[in-house]
Amino acid sequence: MTLDQLMDIPGALAAFTYSDKGDLTDHRVREGTEITPQVLDLLAHSCVANMAVATLEARGWENVTGQKGFEPLQGFSMVGLEWSAVVNGRCGVIVKNRDVNYETAFEAIHACAAA
Amino acid sequence: MHIVKQLMAIPGVIAAGEFAYRGDRFSFEGALTAEFARMASILCRSNTMSVNMQSEIFDSFAENCGCRPVQGWIVRGSHATVCNIGNYFAFIENRPELLNDVMTIMRAKIGDLGDDLLMNLYAKIGGDVKEALY
Repeated sequence: MTLDQLMDIPGALAAFTYSDKGDLTDHRVREGTEITPQVLDLLAHSCVANMAVATLEARGWENVTGQKGFEPLQGFSMVGLEWSAVVNGRCGVIVKNRDVNYETAFEAIHACAAA
Repeated sequence: MHIVKQLMAIPGVIAAGEFAYRGDRFSFEGALTAEFARMASILCRSNTMSVNMQSEIFDSFAENCGCRPVQGWIVRGSHATVCNIGNYFAFIENRPELLNDVMTIMRAKIGDLGDDLLMNLYAKIGGDVKEALY
């Protein structure tokens, strides 16, 4: 799935890809939003960090509790006041909370990461 | 109905709970032991503070960009998902539409969090929250 296809998700405000280190490699931003490439770059870095921390937590949780079903992680979402960022692999999409369908977003991001 | 009970009434919700910011209190229902619920509360509180800090950094670069204050976060696992809104959390199975249903209920029941997450979380505990904070 391409960035342009990610932008077709209902309510999508921005879509982006990033490197393993979190540097922004490509992006699309819907006209009229307050989201800037600089914010996307910071967001991409936080995505890498949050996925790493979540993996640590999932691995630890499974080991300590014996409850399985978390690893491998399928993504992370930060729910902001007006929009949610959904990320996995090296792809991310920002979707308006009013229109967000988290399952669709996670599936789309999964497809983007696998492409 | 209390939000935790309402969440637990949904098929596929494994456990749900509420935690206090300081970590000294939590409550839960579902398939967790008290010790695991305590661990989950610490984990959720830590992640909540982390994403809140990140959003403040984003906001410093683009004021009113729409992320702040952070309402919560989701960790999507291969077969289970952890949802956190404010100081409530839910462990759920990955069933079709369950994540959307749980998030809709959590957002609707908890409402929009205010601008000061710390104060908001402390307010749930009660007492002289400012003395504890500053």
